[in-house]
Amino acid sequence: MIRKTVGWLDARIGGSAFTRHALNKVFPDHWSFMLGEVALYSFVVLLLTGIFLSLFFDPSVSETVYEGSYEPLQGAEVSDAYNSVLRLSFDVRAGLVMRQIHHWAAIVFVAALVVHMLRVFFTGAFRKPREINWIVGLTLLILAMFNGFTGYSLPDDLLSGTGLRIAYSIALSIPLIGTWLAFLLFGGEFPAEEIIPRLFITHVMIIPALIIGLLAVHLAIVWRQKHTDFPGPGRRESNVVGSKLWPTYAAKSAGLFFAVFAVLSALGGLIQINPVWLYGPFEPQQVTSPAQPDWWLGWVEGAMRLFPAWEIRALGFEIPNPFFPAVLLPGITFALLYAWPFLEQRFTKDLEYHHLLDRARDHPVRTALGVATTTFYLVMFLAASNDLLARWLGLEVGHVTLAYRIAVFVAPALAGYVSYRLMKALLLSGAETFREMPFAALRLKKRPTRV
Amino acid sequence: MVLGLATLPLLLVACYDRAERPYRPPGIADSAVPHEGRTLYLRDCAWCHGNAGGGTSRGPDLVTGTNGPALNHFMMSSGRMPLENTGQRVQRRESLYTDEEIASIVGFMRDFDARGPEIPEPDPDADLQAGLLLYQENCAACHSTTGVGGALTAGERDVAFREGPSLVAPGLLDSTTTEIAAAVRAGPGTMPVFAEETLEDDELSEVTRYVVYLQDPSDRGGAPIGRVGPVAEGAVGWIVGLGALLIFIRWVGTKRGEL
Amino acid sequence: MKSTRPITIALVASALASLALTVVYLRGGQPQAEGALLAVSLGGIAVALVLIAQRFLPHGPFVEQRDVEPGAPRERMLAEEDFDRSSDEIERRGFLGKLLGVAFGALGLAALFPIRSLGTKPGRDLFHTPWGPGVRMVTGENAPLRLTDIPVNGFLTVFPEDATHAADAQTVLIRLADGDLPPGPPGAAVEGVVAFSKVCTHAGCPVGLYQAETRELFCPCHQSVFDVLQAAEPTDGPATRPLPQLPITVDEDGYLVARDDFPEPIGPGYWNRGR
Repeated sequence: MIRKTVGWLDARIGGSAFTRHALNKVFPDHWSFMLGEVALYSFVVLLLTGIFLSLFFDPSVSETVYEGSYEPLQGAEVSDAYNSVLRLSFDVRAGLVMRQIHHWAAIVFVAALVVHMLRVFFTGAFRKPREINWIVGLTLLILAMFNGFTGYSLPDDLLSGTGLRIAYSIALSIPLIGTWLAFLLFGGEFPAEEIIPRLFITHVMIIPALIIGLLAVHLAIVWRQKHTDFPGPGRRESNVVGSKLWPTYAAKSAGLFFAVFAVLSALGGLIQINPVWLYGPFEPQQVTSPAQPDWWLGWVEGAMRLFPAWEIRALGFEIPNPFFPAVLLPGITFALLYAWPFLEQRFTKDLEYHHLLDRARDHPVRTALGVATTTFYLVMFLAASNDLLARWLGLEVGHVTLAYRIAVFVAPALAGYVSYRLMKALLLSGAETFREMPFAALRLKKRPTRV
Repeated sequence: MVLGLATLPLLLVACYDRAERPYRPPGIADSAVPHEGRTLYLRDCAWCHGNAGGGTSRGPDLVTGTNGPALNHFMMSSGRMPLENTGQRVQRRESLYTDEEIASIVGFMRDFDARGPEIPEPDPDADLQAGLLLYQENCAACHSTTGVGGALTAGERDVAFREGPSLVAPGLLDSTTTEIAAAVRAGPGTMPVFAEETLEDDELSEVTRYVVYLQDPSDRGGAPIGRVGPVAEGAVGWIVGLGALLIFIRWVGTKRGEL
Repeated sequence: MKSTRPITIALVASALASLALTVVYLRGGQPQAEGALLAVSLGGIAVALVLIAQRFLPHGPFVEQRDVEPGAPRERMLAEEDFDRSSDEIERRGFLGKLLGVAFGALGLAALFPIRSLGTKPGRDLFHTPWGPGVRMVTGENAPLRLTDIPVNGFLTVFPEDATHAADAQTVLIRLADGDLPPGPPGAAVEGVVAFSKVCTHAGCPVGLYQAETRELFCPCHQSVFDVLQAAEPTDGPATRPLPQLPITVDEDGYLVARDDFPEPIGPGYWNRGR
């Protein structure tokens, strides 16, 4: 029966040659190459659950009276948006589990993207001819982070509403255009009524369309260039070694999709996330403590907590404090990330094509810089929970902040140095793993004993 | 003899360890006269707070400000008082007294003529929705919308008798109904005061009822993981979510060097 | 012979879980059951697929050749030739290309203008709040306040009358302890009661934590600390400016009123705030 259908299609569209080529395409199947797929399949779960949610969510801040089954809010005046999310959570069958799977999927999506990006970085997979895909991938990461933010701001609850206020202030802080930018984006002075409907359309249409488009480009480029691989038995720059797309790779990949969905379902049903009924509806004069954004914005939040009370003021004009940690820092971060393949090319003067990957040790400077940079952002990320840490350890929150301010410079330097020495030692000792490496190798001077 | 000498430090340590709260000068025995408010007060409180609650160099008076039956009850019921030593942090611990003993001590302390608020008796059937509104407006900022508490600043200004600054607005999940209402009225420690002028009695009942609700709220979504928000959620997402999937892809994929 | 048993178990478990899921749903649903059963249902298929792939499908290793250099210089040259076909006609009339560029550019510029429709002009909106001389102070329920309504060490959030939804007007009202010297210029406080903007001058969060013992306001978002006795001067954290103080007094009916709007723009900074 399948044969007949395929025959029918082929007679009209053709493409058997392409199909053959596709079915036989070889994919290297190292486990770390599947991180991108974890991200991809999390995105698919986001789309599926998101479609369900979008059929219920009401993107409006018009006031209504809550009359659902959550007792403490019965009779309360809340926005339509908040009301619809409460309804989903308490009065729509499978509504809460869909909401929670959706949010857990977002968390795992961005996490997988970051780990995937780190894998690509540390293995040098962004080198020629894959600079384009590095750029596309980075853009996908930014879009994912942004969509996550717009998504959790939709319910108009107290926690995410506080985040929107901070976002508004960050926009305000931009020199010259800040006030216009904030007023145009939000529709006026905070809290403008336009923001929830705009976040909604951004979240369900504009950014997903961009993501899907860029994803298609990303995958098409991987298809065309063929995936990279680690050096190993039988592997050359001029070949790809692995399993064929059909049936083995497809089966494993499909299995991975179901596994991603399974893990997200387990989280979505068993572990509570974003209980907006406990946070309460957004009121501009209310706030909660602790107050943090979702994890992928933790580094910006941490930067805002760590950056000292400095700002630039002259002649009645000013560049307010939030601009530096929340606009300048992310701007520089992504500018450097985008530029990295070209910067590395400049420094190493390596203009060769690379299809075989580096091990981290093969490029100790890149590895050290990567570790140092990751540590830098990790410390800022941890600093976003300085008040929670202070509470748990019984310390003064000001002291915790001070400790992080020191750590944000010391830790990356230390981590970078240590990783450089370790990578160099591993490389020059010729050992395969750390365990095999002679301890003496760590005390290597400039001249190695073994090439 | 050697054995004796060896055990001596152990004994000393044991004795020191057994010197339980409250702080009192040596010589006052842990006497067996329970329930009697005056005796308990003189035994446990007078050393720092004075025989008639007038205060000493070790502790503040119990007469001025919002001192009164509500504050007294709150301090003892939540185990904050008595302290083991003057430098100790004031925080919730297991109460040293039974309910009768507390009532008895509070009764005795009425002789001090403190003019602070009475022990409130909140109505357990107050309006939950109104309570939520009041809580969000007045309490959530310090104690968190979920009642788990929050960090405070250590304070730039020295506070009399306090060596350790207030570090937290405490969690409310272990408080009794009376403690909640009493704290609202009396504003213990660094907490502001919400007197009847600000918060009427029925509003006090409402907000108290909501706090009690927060002690067992709807966790319809599953394990609440601390109800602290995105920090815990991010940790779980990475460790449990991504962690499980990393294990899975290690199983599915090949390792380096494999064919 | 590799065993099919684990695969069978996985698939049967999956099917049963799907069935159970349907039952749970028909009976009204329950989030934990839904999530757990869905996980088994999907996970069973996941495990089965991977086991099938690992045990029964060909796993090579297979080899495919790749072009080390994806580009094809000869094809590129031919493509360039095709692209340049009859471009001489256009190139000889260079001004056409320029005019096209002008037309497109102008259209592009015009097309940007709908962005202006997205919001209102900032103007002086950020410089004022609904507070003004004689404006009565009210609670969130629009009830006016007397001095006696706030006890010593009391802390309230207040608004201008009939503007309880004005986010920029949110104000904290504090009665200081006996013996505190009221901060601010003369006439700003009344009988130990002071009022400050609640909008943090760092990033706009409501500064909702008041520590009565030390008379400090604490913002939970980035831990800025404002000393009320020094007119809400920031003493820690990233805030660079004090919370503006609302000058207040009591009107002839005994209600708390503002003497004027805040003396400077409230909330976080923006580039022309000082003008």
